[in-house]
Amino acid sequence: MSRTATLSHERRIEWPLLLALLGLMVLGGLFVASATLGNENTAHLPLLRRGYIRQIIWYLLGFGLAVLVCVRDYRWLSRWSMIVYWVAILFLIAVLVPGIGSTQGWGARRWIALGPFQFQPSEFAKIAFIFALASYLSRPEPEVAQVGLFFKSLGLCVLPFVLILREPDLGSALVLMPVGLLMMFAAGVPTRYLLRLVGGGVLVVSVLVVDLLWAPLEWRIIKLEPYQMRRLMVYFGKSFVPANATEAERAKAWREYRDASHNVEQALISVGSGGLTGKGWRQGTQNALGYLPRAVAHNDFIFSVIAEESGFVGSVTVLALYAVVLFSGIRIAGQARDRLGMLLAVGVVSLFFCHVFINIGMNIRLMPVTGIPLPLLSYGGTSVLCSLIAAGLLQNIHLNRQYH
Amino acid sequence: MLVLDQLRRGNQRLRWLAITVFLGLGILLAGLWYVQVVAAQRYQVKIRNQTFRTVRVPGVRGKILDRNGAVLAENRPGYILNLYTEELRPLFLAEYNRQKAAFLAAKMATNPAPSLNWFERLKAAFHPTSRAGHLSRADVLTLNERVRYAVVSNTFAQVGALLGTPVAISEKDYERHHNQWPYRPLPILENLTPQQVARFLEQAPVLPGVDLEVQPVRYYPHGPGVAHVLGYLVRDDLARDGDEEGFDYSLPSYQGAIGIESGYNEALSGRPGIQSIVVNSLCYRESETTWAPAEAGQNVFLTLDLQLQLAAWRALQSSGANTRGAVVVLDVTDGDLLALASSPAYDPNAFIQGMSQDEYNRFMNDPQLRQTFNRATQGAYPPGSIFKIVTALACLENGLDPAATYQVEPNPSDPAHGAFFLGRRKIKDLARPGEYDFRRAFFRSSNSYFVFEGLQTGRDRLLEMGKRFFLGERIGLPLRQEVRGDFPYPREARWAWTQGKLADACIGQGITVTPLQMAVMTAAVANGGKVFWPRLVLRMEPPEPEPGVTATEFGTRVRGDLGVNPQNLQLIREAMLADTEDPEGTGFTAFHERDRKTPVLKHLRVGGKTGTAQIEEHGRVVDHIAWFASFAPYEAPRFVVIAMIEGGSSGGGTCAPIVRQVYQALERRFWADSIPAGRSVARSSDSANRRDLLTSR
Repeated sequence: MSRTATLSHERRIEWPLLLALLGLMVLGGLFVASATLGNENTAHLPLLRRGYIRQIIWYLLGFGLAVLVCVRDYRWLSRWSMIVYWVAILFLIAVLVPGIGSTQGWGARRWIALGPFQFQPSEFAKIAFIFALASYLSRPEPEVAQVGLFFKSLGLCVLPFVLILREPDLGSALVLMPVGLLMMFAAGVPTRYLLRLVGGGVLVVSVLVVDLLWAPLEWRIIKLEPYQMRRLMVYFGKSFVPANATEAERAKAWREYRDASHNVEQALISVGSGGLTGKGWRQGTQNALGYLPRAVAHNDFIFSVIAEESGFVGSVTVLALYAVVLFSGIRIAGQARDRLGMLLAVGVVSLFFCHVFINIGMNIRLMPVTGIPLPLLSYGGTSVLCSLIAAGLLQNIHLNRQYH
Repeated sequence: MLVLDQLRRGNQRLRWLAITVFLGLGILLAGLWYVQVVAAQRYQVKIRNQTFRTVRVPGVRGKILDRNGAVLAENRPGYILNLYTEELRPLFLAEYNRQKAAFLAAKMATNPAPSLNWFERLKAAFHPTSRAGHLSRADVLTLNERVRYAVVSNTFAQVGALLGTPVAISEKDYERHHNQWPYRPLPILENLTPQQVARFLEQAPVLPGVDLEVQPVRYYPHGPGVAHVLGYLVRDDLARDGDEEGFDYSLPSYQGAIGIESGYNEALSGRPGIQSIVVNSLCYRESETTWAPAEAGQNVFLTLDLQLQLAAWRALQSSGANTRGAVVVLDVTDGDLLALASSPAYDPNAFIQGMSQDEYNRFMNDPQLRQTFNRATQGAYPPGSIFKIVTALACLENGLDPAATYQVEPNPSDPAHGAFFLGRRKIKDLARPGEYDFRRAFFRSSNSYFVFEGLQTGRDRLLEMGKRFFLGERIGLPLRQEVRGDFPYPREARWAWTQGKLADACIGQGITVTPLQMAVMTAAVANGGKVFWPRLVLRMEPPEPEPGVTATEFGTRVRGDLGVNPQNLQLIREAMLADTEDPEGTGFTAFHERDRKTPVLKHLRVGGKTGTAQIEEHGRVVDHIAWFASFAPYEAPRFVVIAMIEGGSSGGGTCAPIVRQVYQALERRFWADSIPAGRSVARSSDSANRRDLLTSR
C-alpha cells in the first residue's frame, strides 16, 4: 500500500460526529436565544451583549480551536500533557485566591476574570486531566496492572478533585471520578482494584449521606455549604422541619424547602408540560414568566427549555445527537492507532457522557442538582470551548488512526 | 450501525463502556418518556395552576323601573383609583439599589467584623459566604419588603397630595396584599367625588401605575321611599352554584338580600364574565385575556307608580318620621300593586356605601322600629273592625236581612257605649246603645251587632268566607318577605274554637292578616268578587334590544272568585261609602273639611272601613293597630287603599287621614286637568279618562 493512497483513504474526518456536533450547536444557538428572551427583551440591547450571539461566537472560536487541535498528531500533543496538567492545577489554586478568583455574584468562587470574559478553570482542568491520565496510562498493559501505578493514577484524579471541591463545585469534582475510573478500566487496570475503589467510594458516600441527613448535628463528619445540604435533602425527599420545631421554625423550614426545591420542581414542570410535541420555539412560559429562574435557564437548565418548547420529540432528538457523538467516540477509541489514542477517546466519551447524564438527569429529578453544563447546549464560553476542544481531539485520533 | 457495532464488536473493555453509555442513555430516555408522555397531563395542570389566575367580572346589574319607566334603581358610575403594583417594579429596583448601600453601612455599624488573627482572616477569605458586606438572603428579603412598602406608600402620599385628601396604607395591609394577590390592583381610594376625579385627571399622568377606573355602583334615587319593595344589595364575592368555573377572585359583586333585588336577582345580575390573568413567578400580572364577557342583567319593570308610591310614603311619614305602619294601593281591576310602602324604612344606598358594624347592628336589631321589616307583607296583625267586611258578607250570604234591626244594650259600667254579653263575658262596644240595622251597624262599627250576627251565622261559614279571600294563605310576591297570617280552615278550627273565640273573630280579634291581604280582600269586594294574585312585576326586558331576546311579560292572574250574591257586595260597598259620607260614619271626619260639610276630595267618592285592633298581653291591652280599608271611586271602583299603623289611636283618627292623602295624590295624578265640578257629574267622564292615564306607559 502506497503511503499517498493510504492517506487519501485514511485521513478522513468522522462525518457523523461532525454533523451531530453541528446539530447540537444549531440547537444550542436557537434555545439559548429562546432562554434569554425573558431577560433580554429590551430591544436596544447591543447584539454583542445578547446571549445567543455570544454563544455563536464561542462556537466559532471553539471550532477554530478544534481545527487547531487537529493540526498536530495527538501523540505530539501528549508530550505537553503533564505541563498542561500542572498549569491547570495552578489555575485551580489561583481561582481560590480572592483577588484572582471571582464569584460572579454567586456563592462559589469558580471563575477567573480575563478582561471582559470570565473562564472556569475547572472546565479546562477536566481536559488537562484526561490528557495527563491518558498519557500516564498509555504504557504497556502489564505495567498498568501494578498496584503502585494504580495509586499514582488515582493521585492524578484526586488532586484536581480536591481543588475543585474547595471552590466549591461538587458537581464538576464528582464528574472527575467516573471519568478517571472508566479510563483506568479501559487501560486494563485490574477490575478487583477498581471494584474495591468503587465499593469503598459507595460505602463512604452512603455513610456521609446518612450522616448528613439523619445523624445528630454534633456527629457530622464533614460540613457542606447550606445550599448543598438543602439540595441533598430535596433530592432525598427529607423534610426540612426539625423534630421539635415551633410554628415559626416550621414555617421558615417550609419556606426554605420551597425555595430549595423550586428549581427542581419548576424544571420538572417545564419538561413535563412540554408533552409530546412541545409548545413551540420561544413559546415556553416557564422561562418567560420567570418560574424557571432566569439565571440558570440558559445554562444549567437549558434542557428544560428545550424539552418544554420542543417536547418529547425534541428531547429524543437531543439524546440521539449525543448518542451519535458518544458512539462515534467509542468507535474512534476502538479504531485508535495506539493505547494513548484509545484512552484519550475513552476519556472524552466518559466526560461527555457524565455531563449529559447528570445534567439531563437533574432536569427530570433522576439526579440531584449540580452545576454541570450540558455540552454544547448550555450557555457558557468555557464549557463550549472545552467541549469543542475535546471533540477536536476525537477527530484528531480518528484522523491519525491505525492502518487496517 | 453505529450503536450496535460498538455493542457487539471491539475490545472487551470498550464494549463494557459502550454498554454503560447505552444503558445510561436508555435510562434518560425512559425517564423523559415518563415525564413528558405518561405524566405530561399532571404537569400541564400544574403549569396552568401556577400561571393563570381567573377573575370573575360581574355583569352590569339591570335597572328597576316603575310602570311608566321611571327609575327606581339604577347604576351610577363609581370612580375608584387603583394602583397596579407591577408597573412600580422599576421603581422598586431603583429604590432597592439606592437603599442597599445604606442598609449595608447600617449593618456593618451594628455588628462590626470581629477581630481575627491572620489565619482566621485567611480562612474567612476562602469562605465566600461569610464575607463581610455580603447581604444574606434574609437581608435581601427584608430590604425588598421595606423598599416595596416605601415606594407604594410614597405613591399613596403623592395621590393624596394630588387629590387634597390624605390617603395611606398600613405596612401590614400592603404586605397582605403583596403576599396574597400581587396581581390584583390595589385600591387607593374608592368613591371619588367629581372634584377629586377632575383633580386627578388634570395631573394624573405623572404617577406610574395609578389608574382611574369606573365601576357601576347601585343607586336608589328615592332612598327609603321605595326601600322595602326594592330591598338592598349585599357584597358577595363567593362563587355561585351557577358559575361554570372556579375563580381566584371576583371583582366586587353584589347579591340582592331581600325585596325585588333578591327575588329577581338572577335576571337583574345577568351573567358574570371570566377574565384570566397570566402571572409571572413573582405573581405580578403579565397580561390578561377575557374568556367570557360579562352579560348585563335585564331591566325589571314594576307595577308600582312612582308618584303614588312616594305619595303613600309621604302620607305615612305625615304622622311622624318613626311611624310604624304600611300603606298599600292596589288596582282592583287587575290586581296591580300601585304602591306598597312600609315605615320606618331605610336608605338602601347606605348598604352600598358601606356602614360600620356598629351602625349595622344597631340598624338590624332595633326591637321597636325594625326598619328592614316590610310591614305591608311581613306584618301579621289582627284586622279589628275592617274584618267586619268578611263577617258582614258571611252573614248576608247566610240570609241576614239588612233591614232587620238589633237592639244594642248599654254597657252597665259605661252607659254611653254598648256591650255584648256572651255568657259571663262582656264584649265592649264603642258604638252607642240603641237600634241598629245592617248599614248603620257597619258604618258605626257596632261590635255587638256583628258579634251577635256572626254567632248566628256560625264558625264554619265565617271561616269559609274568609278562606274565599285566601286569608291565612301566602300571596306570593317575589320579595322574600311574607307571612301568611293566622286564619284557620274550618276543619282546623273545629276543636280549638270556642264561641268566645268566634265572637272575637267576628270583630277581627284573635286572627291575623297582613295589610296586603286586606288590600286583596277589599279589592274583591270592590270589583264584584274577583280575588287576584297581586302583581308586582310587569315585565323583564333586556337592556339593549337584541334579536332573539324578547321581553318577558307577566300577566294578571285571578286566584279565585267569591261566588257571592252581587247585591250583598253592593250592600257592603254602600255601607262603606256611608262610613265616609254619613256624618255618623267613623271615617267622616278625615274626608271632610273642618266645616263637616265640604268633602276634601273633589272627584272621588270613597268607601271605607275603619278598624282598631287591640293587642293584648296577659289580659292587658298593650298596643293598638289602627286600620283603614277603602276603595274608590264608589261608582266604578278602581283603587283600593289600605293603611295600617301600629300604635295608632283609632282607624278613623290615625289611618283615614293617611288614606285620604293618598287619594288626594291620586286625584292630582289623574284628575289634575279636569275642572272640579259637581262631584256626581264629573265622575262618569273621568273614569274613562283615568283608565287611559293609568295604562299608558
